[in-house]
Amino acid sequence: MSRVKETPLLPVEDVREAALFFVVGALCFLAALAALSAKSTYGAAKSWTAEVQGELTVSLPAADRRGADDAAKIIRQIDGVRDVRVFSKDEIDALLEPNFGNRGLPDSLPLPQLVAVKADPAAPDMGPTIARKLTEAGIASAVDEHADWAGDVRRVLAIARMTAMIAVALLVSTAVAVIAFATHAALLARRDIVDVLHLAGARDRFIAGLFERRFWVLGLRAGSVGALMALGAAAIMIFTVQAHGGRSGLLPELSLDFFDLVILVITPVIAGFAARLAARITVIRALKGVM
Amino acid sequence: MTHPRHDLFEDVAVRLDSVSLRYDTSEDILSDIDLVLKPGSFSFLTGASGAGKTSLLKLLYLALKPSRGEVSLFGRPTSNLTRDQLSALRRRVGVVFQEFRLLEHLSAYENVALPLRVLGRRESDYRADVEELLAWVGLGQRLHAKPPTLSGGEQQRVAIARAVVTQPDILIADEPTGNVDPEMGTRLMRLFLELNKRRQTTVIIATHDLGLVRQVEAPVYRLTNRLLVQDVEFGGQAARRRTDPGLGG
Ligand SMILES: Nc1ncnc2c1ncn2[C@@H]1O[C@H](COP(=O)(O)OP(=O)(O)O)[C@@H](O)[C@H]1O
Ligand SMILES: [Mg+2]
Repeated sequence: MSRVKETPLLPVEDVREAALFFVVGALCFLAALAALSAKSTYGAAKSWTAEVQGELTVSLPAADRRGADDAAKIIRQIDGVRDVRVFSKDEIDALLEPNFGNRGLPDSLPLPQLVAVKADPAAPDMGPTIARKLTEAGIASAVDEHADWAGDVRRVLAIARMTAMIAVALLVSTAVAVIAFATHAALLARRDIVDVLHLAGARDRFIAGLFERRFWVLGLRAGSVGALMALGAAAIMIFTVQAHGGRSGLLPELSLDFFDLVILVITPVIAGFAARLAARITVIRALKGVM
Repeated sequence: MTHPRHDLFEDVAVRLDSVSLRYDTSEDILSDIDLVLKPGSFSFLTGASGAGKTSLLKLLYLALKPSRGEVSLFGRPTSNLTRDQLSALRRRVGVVFQEFRLLEHLSAYENVALPLRVLGRRESDYRADVEELLAWVGLGQRLHAKPPTLSGGEQQRVAIARAVVTQPDILIADEPTGNVDPEMGTRLMRLFLELNKRRQTTVIIATHDLGLVRQVEAPVYRLTNRLLVQDVEFGGQAARRRTDPGLGG
């Protein structure tokens, strides 16, 4: 209990540490946001892929409603097809609404019939098979496998994810470099204390430990503040998207799940460890220069 | 309190063999110096200002490596020791720095306790010892004062208490009476003598105050022209009478 009130051997340096706190906190905020977006692109890619696997749309440019029903019958008989449904006129209107407005389409406009197909995602070559069967039956068709589009989206999301992860790595190493600089400055400013401890027989790791503890705590605190701000920013983003109907085309997975919280919790821990490591390496290196 | 005095093989506390020192500059500050301090001896180091007293002491308390030659403590050459081994040797050496080097954010009590914290001792275990030591140097009432509020003489005594709190085997003091009046100088000198007698601590004191040197019968080493000579005037006979017969170097 008497140990608690021992004055730290390194005096607190408010100004320098406030500045460092701000920098590390901001870096942690950015890193946490980048990590969250890396993770959300991963989730998005996964859910998109799962959603559209085995989904196809068959358009029949020359068919009428009855021709569409015939085509549906043929498709239904193909192995691996689970569900076939002909789009109604209203559904087609709805699909084209972004292009033609909501007053319906003129009846004179020739529109293709559309057939939605759900197939076993594992079934091979579903698109070509459907196209072949329809051709054999004399029905002109164009088959659109949704997974082809998902592939593009997945690639784009993978690039976004890579970018976000590189951002995380850069931010973490920037934090390490900043703390190494700060430790160096603190060492120079506290040369007197370091010398006295050294000459009193303190081992290098004892002296490094003083700086490590100082920067570990700073990293933890600044990281917590940064992570909390990232949480706040994510919450605002999600709230904004949901408040506007949730139709955020590219952001299907916008919610905070368990792993997002894990990211936010480990951010300060990583910041603390990074700070500690930077301090340790800097001090041990500097001490090697004295006898 | 455990108190490992010099073990049997350590018949020499300090030994310099042909030691030379130069800083980054061209010239040697110290040249070809031999010195032997026996355990339990008491010696003075004199020389004009700038003669190299502080530099020589830095070699002894392992703050500097010699440019040539070998520094041995307790019979161990130091040139090839690991950093941890050097730390272990430094723990057996107490130093009173010329400029005190007290930590300004710590109280007098905490400054004196500093080497004990380095040793990992618990505050509850050493509190009484530190308080007693501070009382012994006349600072029993100023335990919680910070160095900037202490007078030069008080700071000096805190520095001395810090140097002896671990009961080191060697005590090195660099101009320990430089900032105090002659009366206080005499008192501090008595303190060093008492340590030397009571604990058989090897003491070496650098000073250019010859008045102080004359108060004590002890060998006097003098730095002049980069060389170390033993002064016959103050050392020799007198030193041999004062301490054990093996002394004298
Ligand atoms: N760190 C240093 N770098 C270069 N020269 C130094 C350094 N310290 C001391 N000197 C020089 O070494 C000489 C001896 O200094 P010092 O050992 O402090 O003498 P003293 O303690 O006897 O006054 C002086 O000329 C001083 O200028
Ligand atoms: Mg000097």
